[in-house]
Amino acid sequence: MSDKTSAPSNPTSVIIASLTVIFLSACANNLNDSIATNVKLPPEDNIKLQLLNKDEIAFLRDPVRLRWFNLTEEKVLDQLAQRDEEGVKQYVTDMMATMNAASFQDGQDSTSNIKNGILEPLSTTADSTVIPLNTDAAGYNKSRVIQPAMFDKYKRTPGPINLQRYVHEQDGIPTFAGAPVAIRIEDLVAGKVEVAFVGVPLALGSGWRDSQHAPTVLRGMYGLSGYDIAGGVDPTLILSIADFGNIATSYLSIELSIDHIREQISAMVEAGTIPFIVGGDHSIMYPTVASMSDNYGKTKFSVVQLDAHYNGARGLDHYYSDAQSVSRLIEDQLIEPTNIIQVGLRGPSQDKEALEWLRKTGVKYHTMVEVGEKGWDAVQNNTIAEAKRADSTFISFDMSVLDPAYAPGAGRPVPGGISILQARSLVRRLCAETKIIGFEMLDVAPYLDTSYKTALNANYIMHACLTGIAMRKQGITGSDHIDPLAFTP
Amino acid sequence: MNLVKRASVVLTIGLLVSASQLLAKTQDDTEIKGPATPSKAGVVPENIDSATPGLMPTKPLEEIPDNVIAILDSLPEVKSNFIKSGKSRGVLKKEILFDLLSSASSAEAEEYVNTIISIHDQIEFKKDRDIESIELNKASPDFNSWRLKRPQSMNPDREPGPISLGRYLGSSSSGIPTFANAPVAFTPEDLIAGKVDVAILGAPLDMGSGWRDAIHGPRAMRMLRRGTGGTDVSTLIEPSSVLNIVDYGNVAIDQLSTERSVQEVRKMVREIAETGAIPIIIGGDHSLEYPNIAAMADVYGKGKVAVVHFDAHLDTGRGRVHLLSHGQPIYRLMKEAHVRPEDFIQVGLRAHYSKSYYEWEKEIGMKYHTMAEVERRGWDAVMERVIKEATENTDYLYVSFDVDVLDPAFQPGTGTPVSGGLTMREAIPIVRRLCAETKLVGFDIVELAPALDSTYVSALNANSLMFACMTGIAMHKKGMAEKGFISELSSDHGQDDYYGDKK
Repeated sequence: MSDKTSAPSNPTSVIIASLTVIFLSACANNLNDSIATNVKLPPEDNIKLQLLNKDEIAFLRDPVRLRWFNLTEEKVLDQLAQRDEEGVKQYVTDMMATMNAASFQDGQDSTSNIKNGILEPLSTTADSTVIPLNTDAAGYNKSRVIQPAMFDKYKRTPGPINLQRYVHEQDGIPTFAGAPVAIRIEDLVAGKVEVAFVGVPLALGSGWRDSQHAPTVLRGMYGLSGYDIAGGVDPTLILSIADFGNIATSYLSIELSIDHIREQISAMVEAGTIPFIVGGDHSIMYPTVASMSDNYGKTKFSVVQLDAHYNGARGLDHYYSDAQSVSRLIEDQLIEPTNIIQVGLRGPSQDKEALEWLRKTGVKYHTMVEVGEKGWDAVQNNTIAEAKRADSTFISFDMSVLDPAYAPGAGRPVPGGISILQARSLVRRLCAETKIIGFEMLDVAPYLDTSYKTALNANYIMHACLTGIAMRKQGITGSDHIDPLAFTP
Repeated sequence: MNLVKRASVVLTIGLLVSASQLLAKTQDDTEIKGPATPSKAGVVPENIDSATPGLMPTKPLEEIPDNVIAILDSLPEVKSNFIKSGKSRGVLKKEILFDLLSSASSAEAEEYVNTIISIHDQIEFKKDRDIESIELNKASPDFNSWRLKRPQSMNPDREPGPISLGRYLGSSSSGIPTFANAPVAFTPEDLIAGKVDVAILGAPLDMGSGWRDAIHGPRAMRMLRRGTGGTDVSTLIEPSSVLNIVDYGNVAIDQLSTERSVQEVRKMVREIAETGAIPIIIGGDHSLEYPNIAAMADVYGKGKVAVVHFDAHLDTGRGRVHLLSHGQPIYRLMKEAHVRPEDFIQVGLRAHYSKSYYEWEKEIGMKYHTMAEVERRGWDAVMERVIKEATENTDYLYVSFDVDVLDPAFQPGTGTPVSGGLTMREAIPIVRRLCAETKLVGFDIVELAPALDSTYVSALNANSLMFACMTGIAMHKKGMAEKGFISELSSDHGQDDYYGDKK
C-alpha cells in the first residue's frame, strides 16, 4: 500500500501545517476570495509532485476541474499525503484521463453496428451522436395527426360539447372546471372560448415521474370552479372556459413531442384563447414559451416562473430536459432573459454557479432566502412590478414551489417552499394586474400524495389565476385589490 | 327424482362440453401452424417480420361495395387506385370509408379522397420533413459523463475481492443497505478473486409506459432486505452460506434514453457473466430484457440460451417509432437472433393483447402460457410443462421476471398492473425449480415501482422471488438434481405415517 512506502516523517501534518500558514495569511490579505483559491499546493519541488508535468500541476490547482470530482485542494492534499510520488502520478493522470473521456471522443461513433452479419442498431447508441429511430414504422406520425371533422361518423356544428346531463350537475364525466369539451380548434373559435385547459402528459422529468397522470387527476378533482372571496368574482360564470383535451406526446422522448406541443399551443392562441396547460414535467416549458414567443414576439412578454428550480443547466448531452428548459429558451433566443422572473428558488441545484449564471444573463430571481429576509409582500410586489415591464405575462408554475406540506405530490419536491396562501395571492394578482397570455401547471406527481391535497391545491392555484383573469375582464386591475365583502365592516 | 336430476346434470355437462367445443371451433376459425422446421441458432427467423407494422405488404381493399366502386371509378385514376390499394387503411377503417363514400356526391367523394391522401401523407414517414433520429449535443463537455467510471486510483489501495461492509463479528451488516445484505464488488477482478457465484446489479431504467418509478426498484430492494436471508423452508437450503453473493452496484443509465442506456447495460452484464458469475439484474423497466439477454448471447453464443419470460404482457411489440421500449424487448432479441423463437417461453400472460399477437407467436414458434392455460389446466400442469420446455432445447436458461406477472394483490407496486395474476405460492416454486433444475446463466426482476405501494409488500415479494432463485442456484451448485425436491424434514414432522408414504 502506498502509505507504507511514505517517508517516516508524517507528510500529512507537514503539508497541513504549511497549508494552514498560507491559508491564514491569504485570508488576512484577501477576505473576499473563496477558500479554494487560497489553498495552495505545496511548491512544485515537493518530492510528492516531482513526477508531475505542468499540465498535471495545473489540474491540481484548478478548483473547477477538482469540483467535477467533488474535490477541493484541501481534500486533494489529504490524498497526496497518502501516496508516494508514483501513486500521486497515477492519481492525477487517471483523473485527467477520466475527465478527458467525458467529452465526445473522435471516432467513438465509428464502430459498426452490424455484428455477425446482423444489424444491431442499439449496440453502439451510447457511442453515437444520434439516437436511431425506426423510420419503417407504419404510421410514423400517426399519434400526432389530427382527425379531420370531415371523417366524423355523426356530424355536428362546431362548438364546445357540454357533457353534463343536468342543469346543476356535479361529479359526472370529469373535465377541467366541469367545462364543456372542445375537440378541435374550430370548437374553441365557435365557442368564443377565453380560457382553454389542455393536458400535456409528458413525464420525463429528473425527479419522480408521474406528471403524465396529472391532467386526469386534476380533471377528477374539484376546486377549479365557483366564487373567490378575495377577487369577489366567480370566474367560471364570467369566463368562457373549455377543456381542450390532451396534446399527444411520445412517452419515450421529449424531442419527438416538442414541435407538436408548440404547434398545438400556438393554434390555441390563434383561436383567441388563453391556454391553461397542465403538464407534464417542466421540460414542456420549452415548447409552451416558444409558442408564446412565436405569437407575441420574444420581447413582448414576461415569464413568471414559480419554481424551486432554476432549470438553467447548460452543456448537457441531451438538448431538452426539465433541468434546462430556461437555458434552452435563452440559447435559442426565444425569450429575453431579463423578462424571466423566477420566484421560490431553493435547494442544492441552485448553486453558486447557477445563481452567477442567472445574474450574468439578466434573469431576475427571488430565492426563498429573499422571501425569508425581505418578507413575502416585498417579493410579491417586486415580482409584479417586474412582470409589468412587458406587455403581458406567461406564468410557469412548478408544483415544487410550494412547500411539500402543501404539495407532497411534486416530482422534484424541496422543503422550505411557499404556502398555498402566498401562491394564490401572487397568482391572482399577476392574473388581475397584468395581461395573462398563458398559464402552465407543471410537475404535479399524483401518486406521491395519498391524500387529495396536492390535486386540490393545484386546482386552487389555477382557480386563483382564473379569478384574476375574470377580475381583469370586469375592469378590476388595481394593485392588490381585495373585494370589500371579504371583510366585515 | 334423483335419477332425473342426475340425468339432467349429465345432459347439461354434455351440452356445455359440445357448446364449448363449438365455441372454440368458431373462434379459432383459421388454423395457424407453427414452423415446420426449427430455427437455426444465430440466424434471423425468416418470418420474423410477417406481422410487423410497416414491413408487411399493403393488402388491397377487399369487398368494396358496387356503389362505392362506381364512385371511385368516377374519380381520377390515381385517386381511385390509391383507395383500392388499401393505403387508406392507416387513415380510416374501410367500413367508415364505405359509409362516407356511399352517401357522398361525386364532388364530396373527391374531397374525402383528397383528404385521405393528404392525411396519409402526414402520417407516413417522410425524409427531410420528419425527425429520423434524435440528435444529441456532441459539443457537450459531459457527453460521456453519465457512464464514466471513477478510477480505482482515487480510492485507497485494496486487494481485489468483495468488500464487506460489516463492522461487528456478530453481524455482517453495518447499516449500509445492499442487495441481500451482501458485500460489495465493483470490478470483474473482485468477482474472480471472490469466486463469486451471483452478482446482483441494479439497473434503474425508468421509461415504462404506465406509472413510472422503476428507477427506485433497486433502492427499495436494497433497503428492505427482509426476505433475502436465512434458510428456505421447502429445501432447507441457506443460499448465503452455499453461494458467494455480491451487490455489484448499479449500472449507469441515461434516464432520457432507453437506446443509449442499453449499450452500457449489455456491457456490464456481459462483464459479470464472463467471470462465470450469474448476473441478477434488478430493474428498471422491462426494456432491460434486451441488453441482459443480448449479453448472454455474447457470452454463451447466439441461440444457445432459452428464456422463461414471466409477465402479464407479451412484450412482442414491433414496428414502432422507437426501436426499443418495455413493450418490445422480445421482438428485438429475436430480430437480432440472440434467442430462437422456440426457446422463448412466456408465463402468466393476460394483458389485453389482440388475437393477432398470439397468431404471430404461434406462427414463428414461440411458447406462450397464458392465464387462460392456467384456468384450463391448473397451475401444476402448466408449471411442469414450462420446466420441461426450459430444458429441452438448450443447455442454458435465462429467467426474466416482470413482477406484474403476480396478481396486484401481491404486487401493487408495479407500473402496468393487470388483475388475475399469479400468487406468490405459485411463483416461488416455479422460480426455485427453474433456477435449480437448469443451468441458469442469468435472472432479472423488473418493473418494481415502489411509489405505487405505500406498504412493504411489493419489495418483500420481489426480494422473496430473488431469494427463491438464489435457493435454486444453491441447490444446483450442491448437485441436488431431484426434480421438484422438497425437504423430508421440513415438510413432515415424521412422528407417524399420516400420509402413508414413509420410507
